[in-house]
Amino acid sequence: MIRLRLVIAAIAVVLLAAGMTQVGAQQPSSVDPNASAVQEQQLLQQLNRIQGLGSIPDTRSYVIEQPMGRVWRQFHEVWLRWIGGGIIFGVVALMTMFFLIRGRVRIAGGLSGRTVVRFTSFERFTHWMTATSFVILAVTGLNITFGKELVLPLIGAAAFSRWSIMAKYAHDFSSFPFVFGVATLFVMWIKDNFPTAADIQWFKDGGGMIGDKHVPAWKFNGGQKLQFWLACLCTIAAAGSGLFLLFPFYLTNIFGMQIAQGIHALTAVGFVGLILAHIYIGSVGMEGGFHAMATGEVDLNWIKQHHSLWLEQEFGQGRTAPPPAGATTRPAS
Amino acid sequence: MRAYLLACLAIVVVGAGGYFLLNAVQQPSGTAFATDGARISPNWAWRAPSTATPPTASCDPRKSWQWFFVDLGSPEGESATCSISQ
Repeated sequence: MIRLRLVIAAIAVVLLAAGMTQVGAQQPSSVDPNASAVQEQQLLQQLNRIQGLGSIPDTRSYVIEQPMGRVWRQFHEVWLRWIGGGIIFGVVALMTMFFLIRGRVRIAGGLSGRTVVRFTSFERFTHWMTATSFVILAVTGLNITFGKELVLPLIGAAAFSRWSIMAKYAHDFSSFPFVFGVATLFVMWIKDNFPTAADIQWFKDGGGMIGDKHVPAWKFNGGQKLQFWLACLCTIAAAGSGLFLLFPFYLTNIFGMQIAQGIHALTAVGFVGLILAHIYIGSVGMEGGFHAMATGEVDLNWIKQHHSLWLEQEFGQGRTAPPPAGATTRPAS
Repeated sequence: MRAYLLACLAIVVVGAGGYFLLNAVQQPSGTAFATDGARISPNWAWRAPSTATPPTASCDPRKSWQWFFVDLGSPEGESATCSISQ
């Protein structure tokens, strides 16, 4: 009898416990599952960071969360893509429209067959070293910003991972010849890139790009000078901020790293837009433009049309080249 | 064309110089931000998949050229987990 009572009591306890569990599951919990997150958020707002303790020497690694991290993530993952995409596609669209409306800037008098040395071998060597490095830097850099959205879906995670690792190292190493190239170009061409009165007139006349007016210019016209100085400034900003990224936390803290990355990225997309315009005008946009940097020589009529002041200066020094073999000399119309 | 080819050669040469310079100055993050004095198992740093046994043997850090060519294969005598973790 006692055993029976014990069994009944045990069953009653089990049923009661089960019932309480059921009731407990149906009623709203008294513990707010988000409470810890709320406290974390309050902590973040009040102290401006969530910081822990660690046993490694780098005390900056103890910071687990800080508000600027979210801003940086928003910048890197959202805003930068819109800004970068806007600049790059904007420049491409502008160049396309300009090409469709204006067409190629032709040599008005046609080829004369006589050439003038415009760029020496060393100038072309330095230009192409800088240009090729820039293309590597641009492609590998844009992969950091756009690769996850554009390349990853095309080639898959494994291939994208390999490509991105290689791209990262190519980006680091090609920065050296690029900066070296820009520094050399700066020293070589600075004397020809100081603004002159002719540049103001060049801008007033639309650089001869709008209409068929031949605007006098020295070795570099106003547009080229503007591009020279912008390229130098962009290189200083990109290389300077790049140093912070090459040596993370050596020179600054996490906030500085975020600022450096932002400057580096914004400068880079602006630089890409600038160079896209440069590539356009140096290739499809202008007849004879690419030839100048490919062979170093330009046609006499081309130089008369685009850099007449420089031609007069150079003719004064007797620096002309003979006509190429097999070329016929035609008078300029 | 000659100027362009020389420019490409210069990129390789100067880029290689950059490689050696960075190699001499930079440290792998696992070394730069770690210390032997930490009271944690060094195996913790090797992010082995949960199904794999943490390596008992030490893992040699990969060299820069291995990273560059994504050659992270298993050297002879080294646990395969080392390759995964790196």
